[in-house]
Amino acid sequence: MRRLRALLAPLAVIAALAVACPAGAARRESDKLPPTRVRDLNFGDVLFYYFQGPDKDLEAITRIEAYEHWGLLSHHRPEADLLLGSLYLDLGLHNAAGAIFARLLTPDVPPGVRNRAWFYLAEVWYERGYLEKAEQSLARIEGRLPPQLEAQRTHLLSNVLIRLGRDEEAVRLLDHWQGPPDWLAYARFNLGIALIREHRLADADRALAAVGTLVTRDPELATLRDRANLAIGYAHLQQHDAAAARPALERVRLEGPYSNRALLGMGWADADLGDYRDALVPWLELQRRSVVDAAVQESYLAVPYAYGKLGAEKEAASSYENALTSYGAEGQALDAAIARVESGKLLTGMLAGNAKAGRYGWYRQLKTLPNAPESRYLYDVFAGDDFQAGLANYRELGEMQRTLTEWSSSMDAFGDMIDARQRAYAVRLPRADRLLGSGALDRMQRRRDELASRLERIVREHDVAALGAPDQQARWQRIRAIETSLAAAPHDAKTDGLRDRLRLVKGVLYFEMDAAFNARVWRERRTLKDLDLALHEAEERWIRVERARRSVPTNTGEFASRVAGLETRIAALQVRLASTRAKQGDYLAQLAAGELAEQKQRLAAYRVQARFELASLYDRAASREDQAQTPPAAQKEPPR
Amino acid sequence: MKLSTFRALLIGATILCAALPSGAAPAVPEAAPSTAAAAPASPAADAASPAGSAGTSAAGSAPGTSAAGPAGGSPPVTQSPSAADTRALDEEAQSLKKDVVDLNRDLYVLEEELLYPANTQVAVFLSMDVGSFFGLDSVELKIDRKEVANYLYTPREVDALMKGGVQKLYVGNLKTGSHELVAFFTGKGPNDRDYKRGASIKFDKSIGAHYLELKINDRQHRLQPEFEIKDWGE
Repeated sequence: MRRLRALLAPLAVIAALAVACPAGAARRESDKLPPTRVRDLNFGDVLFYYFQGPDKDLEAITRIEAYEHWGLLSHHRPEADLLLGSLYLDLGLHNAAGAIFARLLTPDVPPGVRNRAWFYLAEVWYERGYLEKAEQSLARIEGRLPPQLEAQRTHLLSNVLIRLGRDEEAVRLLDHWQGPPDWLAYARFNLGIALIREHRLADADRALAAVGTLVTRDPELATLRDRANLAIGYAHLQQHDAAAARPALERVRLEGPYSNRALLGMGWADADLGDYRDALVPWLELQRRSVVDAAVQESYLAVPYAYGKLGAEKEAASSYENALTSYGAEGQALDAAIARVESGKLLTGMLAGNAKAGRYGWYRQLKTLPNAPESRYLYDVFAGDDFQAGLANYRELGEMQRTLTEWSSSMDAFGDMIDARQRAYAVRLPRADRLLGSGALDRMQRRRDELASRLERIVREHDVAALGAPDQQARWQRIRAIETSLAAAPHDAKTDGLRDRLRLVKGVLYFEMDAAFNARVWRERRTLKDLDLALHEAEERWIRVERARRSVPTNTGEFASRVAGLETRIAALQVRLASTRAKQGDYLAQLAAGELAEQKQRLAAYRVQARFELASLYDRAASREDQAQTPPAAQKEPPR
Repeated sequence: MKLSTFRALLIGATILCAALPSGAAPAVPEAAPSTAAAAPASPAADAASPAGSAGTSAAGSAPGTSAAGPAGGSPPVTQSPSAADTRALDEEAQSLKKDVVDLNRDLYVLEEELLYPANTQVAVFLSMDVGSFFGLDSVELKIDRKEVANYLYTPREVDALMKGGVQKLYVGNLKTGSHELVAFFTGKGPNDRDYKRGASIKFDKSIGAHYLELKINDRQHRLQPEFEIKDWGE
């Protein structure tokens, strides 16, 4: 019997549930589970597709459902259902998955399995923005999970609470929480954020400083450290405490993803302290970076602002003009990007660039960004859960369209097959009906029974002549006839002599037949056995013919109506697929275009401000020139 | 592991670090800890605001759009979809996908019932246990001396078999009565040498679906693979 190393008992549970976490890891995790055995080959077939990865998820789902329909998974029913739930999750059908879990995760299921199921379901709901459902799923976890998972659970719950605006609850959850070191850093960070939102800056400072001063080589933790420093730095800046902000901002790495914002903040901290010359250092550094970044864009205004404060109006004016040029060029690039997105080129490029990504499964996120002008503006949008999930939906709906198109072409073949079967039946049915109506099998059975009873009589009566060879039987008949004749003849020497000779001949013949009798009985019995076998086979065939005959009218008719019904469903779903996919495409384009539009608006605002400041500068310069040209007496006039 | 990012829009005085904790940064390699969705929440929009406004307020004409919005106040050209839109579309997609999944099942059931009626159906499965001594490349199947399948395996399929999957290698129709199945396994044997072995079985097909399983096992004490055929019967 097969031994699986994949899943625990119940078999598919963890593998199933593991799908809800990042797919690769989840499937790997299943390897750690105790071995179990496949008792229904068809369940093994489902696993064969499941283990091949997300590309085969739809195939695995189809097979589970079909095998359950035929009752072929009787030994694996709960596991198969849980596996189905997990595959639903992978396909983004979290409502259906949630319903399965709610039904199957009863107290009969081991608590560890149950808890993991609820945890992974919560994760999926959280990522798709169903925060209340995520919280409900987390609440169904009983007791404590293994340390790493427990840490993830706490973390997930704190995220849910923060996103729901329940910061105080998040603070209570995280305040004294202890866990594995890496997760502790995340917990401190989240605690800091919740505290900032609760306007408890001093407490937030302590929590975030703990993260912001981490010594680590882990790139992810280093990024978290930057985020913590940036958050606390900006929180202090907001409170006009530039001196407190500076050390935190200085800790942000110069080349990290948050360096631009940190440099901008550093400049503002210096400016807030009145040190405009120092403020110019980070801001000028920013101007050497890509103008796509909002912090860099703002630096184009900040630099001339600082020049202005330092009295370098000429440099300030030049910088404002430089800002206007940069903003103008960037605005044109944004317009082109918006036009491309609105023309639908975004998705085309995205799908082409990720052709090797899985056909199904919403965890199949973008591996590479399309090499398109708009990509550089949309990193954050592409990274967002909404976009990722929407893109997965878009791709999957397209694959489903293709799948149904393939089925659609098969339907014609099915129709032809049913027609051919009906024609064949039209020819064969009369023949079958004649045969079934002939009662031939019953007649044969009766003949066999007669034969058997005759043999029994022969054995019982030891009728050796009945089994004699044909010549023996002929001779035996002649002897019996002569015997009868002699019985009526008078007794004299001649007839008595004949009687003696006849008795001798009869005795010899009887002896011959008797000697062969047992062998002949054995042979006859064997013949009878062979006849029984043949009759049994004929009977089976007869039953099959009868069964097939009975099923003919309903069978072909039922198939024909099923084909017709399915064709209608395919056509209706193709329409819905096309419509929903188009909506999904529009939605993705809206997400991207909305982001681009926001960036454009921001840029427009910067341009307005740059123009205004430049005009003000020129005005001030012009008025100074006027004042310089006006006689001293006139200069003493009060300004209007 | 997905690196969490927060969506930051620096608009003058405001850093908009939206609390979207689990955004996966594209093209960023995954790393431990495997937080996935459990990446940390991000600084809230208003709480972690930068001090652009500090400079701004002091100067009166500081750069940046201190109003945290476009100076002109015109509505955005294109609005991003709302959360309600997102959810409604997601619900619609879910419902549609479920309908397609159901239809797919019904189509599969029809196809199987039409092509392989239970009375005549015969199915041959293939399974592997461990597989240390044999790397499977292909399997050729003959029923009653007629080739019915010749399957070449991909690494992914072999991997799935090694993990415990059982492949339904062949489904067909057979009359009742006695039949013979012969299977030839080709691949790499011990010491990475080309390896081809056969196995055969005679079986009696009666009414009802008949299952046979080709099993590839490791025979530890002989350090050789072993090929068997198991008759699961009806």
